Amino acid sequence: MTKPLSIILCSEEHEKIQMAAMTATIAAVSEREVSIFVSMGAIFSFCIESPKGHRFSGGTFSKFMLEKNAPDALDLLKQGKEFGKLSLYVCSMALDITGINEAALIPNLFDEVIGLTKFLADSEDSQLTVF
Amino acid sequence: MTKRTKIDARGAHCPGPLMELIAGLRLVEKGDEIEILSNDKGSLKDIPVWVQKAGHALANIEELREYYSIVVEKVKT
Repeated sequence: MTKPLSIILCSEEHEKIQMAAMTATIAAVSEREVSIFVSMGAIFSFCIESPKGHRFSGGTFSKFMLEKNAPDALDLLKQGKEFGKLSLYVCSMALDITGINEAALIPNLFDEVIGLTKFLADSEDSQLTVF
Repeated sequence: MTKRTKIDARGAHCPGPLMELIAGLRLVEKGDEIEILSNDKGSLKDIPVWVQKAGHALANIEELREYYSIVVEKVKT
């Protein structure tokens, strides 16, 4: 059996969120169980209306991706959930610190609000990577 | 009789063509084929690897002038 993949996503940079979404989705549709823990600045990219006024921060590569209509990272994650075994968790600390309400997050994407301890405990037998 | 559906994913960037193939396979019957057209060079290696892993069958792969034609038979429901 393939080892599950656990991703801690804490960057608000478009390039990192895109790479995390691609990695998670491709793994999930390739029969691999994937869990993503969204924390720190990454949480802003998962709000219906980002408090920062834009969904992603990014550099030159982000501009290229937007110009060339690269698949949207959040749409990829939705596809990963639909076609594979992909779970998304939002960090309780990130919600507390930012004051963001769960209802302000993009609907039907997150499975649960949890803490890092729970996520790490559930990821003991997984390959863990951080973006 | 085998039914073949064509999906034109030319212009879609990675992993767009693969995701379109997966979505397409969900809509057809076991034994049917999907022909996916892609000009993403990665598709040439990525799609066959996924097809094998997912338990489907690669029926044909062709490198045309400016794009690739990859035909996949749905084996698993």
